[in-house]
Amino acid sequence: MPERVEVTISVNGRKHRRQVEPRMHLADFLRHELGLTGTHIGCEQGVCGNCTVLVDGQAVKSCLMFAAQADGQRVTTVESLAEEELHPLQQAFKDAHALQCGYCTPGFLMAAAAIAAEGRRPSREELREELSGVICRCTGYENILIAVERYLEDRGEVEAVGG
Amino acid sequence: MAEVVQTTRTSLREGRIGSSVSRKEDDRLLRGEGRFTDDVEPGHCLHMAVGRCPFPHARILSIDVSQAVALEGVEDVLVGSDVVSRSDPISVLRPVADAPDLGFYAMATDVAVFEGHPVVSVVAVSRHVAEDAIGLIDVDYEPLPHVFDVESAMDPRSPVLHPRVLKSNLLVKRLTGAGDPEARLAEADVVVEERFSINRVSPLPMETRAIVAEWQAGARELTVRHSTQVPHLVRKQLAESLRLEDGAVRVIATDVGGGFGLKLGIYPEDVLACLHAMRARRPVKWVEDRIEFFRASTHGRESVHSVRVGARSDGQITGMFDAYAVDSGGYNSPMGSPQLTSHMFTGPYRVNDAGTEHSVILTNKAPVGAYRGYGQPESCFVRELLIDRLACRLGRDRVELRAQNMLHSQDMPWQSTSGATYDSGDYEACLRMAAQAIGYEEHVKRGRGPGTDGRYTGVGLASFVERTGYASSKFLARRGSRFGAHESVTLRANRSGGVDVYNGVSTFGVGTETSFAQIVADVIGIDFDSVRVHLGDTGASPLNTGGFASRTLIASAGALRQAAEELRAKILRIGAFMLDSDPEDAVISRGVVCLRDDPNACLPLAEVYDRAIINQGMPPGEEPGLESGAQFEPEAAAYGYGTAAARVSVDPETGDFDVERFVMVHDCGTPVNPVLIDGQVLGGLAQGYGQAVMEELRYDEETGQLINGTMMDYFMPTAADLPEIELQHTFVKSPVTPFGVRGVGEVGTVPGCATIASAICDALADFGVEINRLPLSPESVWRALNQAKASREVRS
Repeated sequence: MPERVEVTISVNGRKHRRQVEPRMHLADFLRHELGLTGTHIGCEQGVCGNCTVLVDGQAVKSCLMFAAQADGQRVTTVESLAEEELHPLQQAFKDAHALQCGYCTPGFLMAAAAIAAEGRRPSREELREELSGVICRCTGYENILIAVERYLEDRGEVEAVGG
Repeated sequence: MAEVVQTTRTSLREGRIGSSVSRKEDDRLLRGEGRFTDDVEPGHCLHMAVGRCPFPHARILSIDVSQAVALEGVEDVLVGSDVVSRSDPISVLRPVADAPDLGFYAMATDVAVFEGHPVVSVVAVSRHVAEDAIGLIDVDYEPLPHVFDVESAMDPRSPVLHPRVLKSNLLVKRLTGAGDPEARLAEADVVVEERFSINRVSPLPMETRAIVAEWQAGARELTVRHSTQVPHLVRKQLAESLRLEDGAVRVIATDVGGGFGLKLGIYPEDVLACLHAMRARRPVKWVEDRIEFFRASTHGRESVHSVRVGARSDGQITGMFDAYAVDSGGYNSPMGSPQLTSHMFTGPYRVNDAGTEHSVILTNKAPVGAYRGYGQPESCFVRELLIDRLACRLGRDRVELRAQNMLHSQDMPWQSTSGATYDSGDYEACLRMAAQAIGYEEHVKRGRGPGTDGRYTGVGLASFVERTGYASSKFLARRGSRFGAHESVTLRANRSGGVDVYNGVSTFGVGTETSFAQIVADVIGIDFDSVRVHLGDTGASPLNTGGFASRTLIASAGALRQAAEELRAKILRIGAFMLDSDPEDAVISRGVVCLRDDPNACLPLAEVYDRAIINQGMPPGEEPGLESGAQFEPEAAAYGYGTAAARVSVDPETGDFDVERFVMVHDCGTPVNPVLIDGQVLGGLAQGYGQAVMEELRYDEETGQLINGTMMDYFMPTAADLPEIELQHTFVKSPVTPFGVRGVGEVGTVPGCATIASAICDALADFGVEINRLPLSPESVWRALNQAKASREVRS
């Protein structure tokens, strides 16, 4: 059988130690090793951004990173956002009808969470550019832009997403 | 006179028909707790990988699987001869009428007819190992000459793809129409004739196809989790191909990550995964990767049109004809060839003499299947550009020429030359609203430019009528369909005081759980939150047709209404009995049944439901239980309609263009959930925009291979690409559907290409530019400018 490497990755605040094949990418690690299936795979070549997660607070396309490269790092996925209630960012998506099939949604949520974590308030045009790394085929984006803008506006001070 | 829906007070009715209540689907999807097919993995699951032909057309001389079989972790290998001996061909759900059956097996046997055609499959303990094994399989191919497009396909020197069934690559040719278009065209004062090419595109849902198959041999039961829009049709098709009885197959589609027509019916890989599961006696999962997707999932559109329109000098259109050839790829796919191009050819115009000649032609490319719009964006594009040119030839205003020829509400119902019966509508109102919103008159007054930046401004318009819901099985019967037209629902009260709704469509983004619950809540008079909608499981839902053709709500609404009325009546009978009164004196109000004249005489619904379910103290003669079921088949299709308008600026030096504004005016009939309707229209418009200016699957003429079959190379709209879209609706109730609804799922795709092309041609009218080919790119505009310049120089 192929060789394996040991990785220790902190995901949503919890440490996981696993033996993985070197070729396993982070998205597969999250989905199939940890059962965190909220991170979705759409292209496996870093274009669609549906697999976006935070690695040490930065938005990363998890299909473009090997699990072994994430060794020792902090990963945050969509599963970290809601507690009992939806996270305000998720609520903003719901209120604006910013999702249809919901497949790309975790990618947009994490891309937006990265912007929020940096405490930025991009203009509509900047936001269009920043979110262009995640592709949605259902909504036409308008409602996603509205949801993210409203959230960034209403949020007041920076919340700790990505911790 | 058309009845217009009053929409002002409906916002008060939270969760009822007309309310923009937020979706039931959202919470689980937002939390990342959706259950897409790949999210579920049974114990001891094997993973499938598929080896595919890299050539567009090749004879398979030999396949050596010995190294793959020897690889640790590999459990089973299938080649074409195994598949032919163990399964039957995949049925075409909706063939073009009179098209012969090509015998589409799940795997190529001797000859592969498109790049991506499966030739071998492996199951192993992981996807990695399965793919490693595919890499170890040695297939010896003899590449054959290939057929690249519809023109070369009909060249007598070209190879014939399916010589056992066909003498040429023409699968079928069909004439439709009425009157005598040739005579009208011959006697017309003006005839405009053009040739248009429609691009081949990908529907591209973000979730690729996926299946998990489990076979329980002793029970003779195959359970399939599938990313599909049509669970019950998939069950039927799988049973047929796998030589099982329908009852042996259960299909479950939970969350589906987008469909757009691509996930209608089964594909070869579905049969292969099931065959492996049945042989290996272990669950088998296959999740298509994006590289496979571009080559093996059906493509959308691609056709070539020779179109003519004739008119009197006063502008009255007298005849129209479209001879078009559809490039169907290597097979007649499970959903056949898009069939509404001919049906909607004449659009919103009063034309008594019109027809189409529709040829379906086979080429060595991936099969074309259904894609949102199903032929209607094509007819809108060719018709509306032709009418622009007719206006130009006649020296007439484009809006006025359209208005002159449009059908009016008093003409309805109107039977078009294709046999479509337009139910109702005020087409001209949408045209005028769109012209007003885009500033058409100001544009005509101001002129096209150039502006100070040297750019020219153009305004484009496209009007359309759209078939939504294909209506009855009678319509389909003459067209070779292998499915019907009914929807069905079971409503079941539960002892918590809620109502469970069971239906066989799946959840793929259109908000079905929400809109169904709104209708049930509205009809019974209960809380939206007390209704739970269970979708997509053939083992739990009554037999139905499925979610496509903008039909789900139209067809299901009738079943929901009937079943909900039945349940309501029984609740009132039992409740009134418990309150010592008569049913006509009782009302249901949110969570209780009470007496009309005595609001204090109230019973919680949970008590009434409980009484019925355990059959204690029921009215005499009342059957136990509280459940209702209904089947409904619409009598007629509802025709949506509207006009889109765009304003563009174009740089005549470089061909660079910018879509500055895009307006859509559309009639949705009675809106069940206005926010969801906007979402559907906006999403469709984004796909239409993508087809208009970005998307095209390109094959290399020499090698026959797909050039841009990755997401890196196939450009589709991102948030940075789309203009802000301005939506307006009108609300004319359809007289032929439950509640007066019209379908809205596909409409956005219809006018995009026509509108933007119309605007660019308008901007460059002074240069004599005419664009007849999609997609529009700065390069294609620049080439059209150069061509126009060259032909002017030749003339002068």
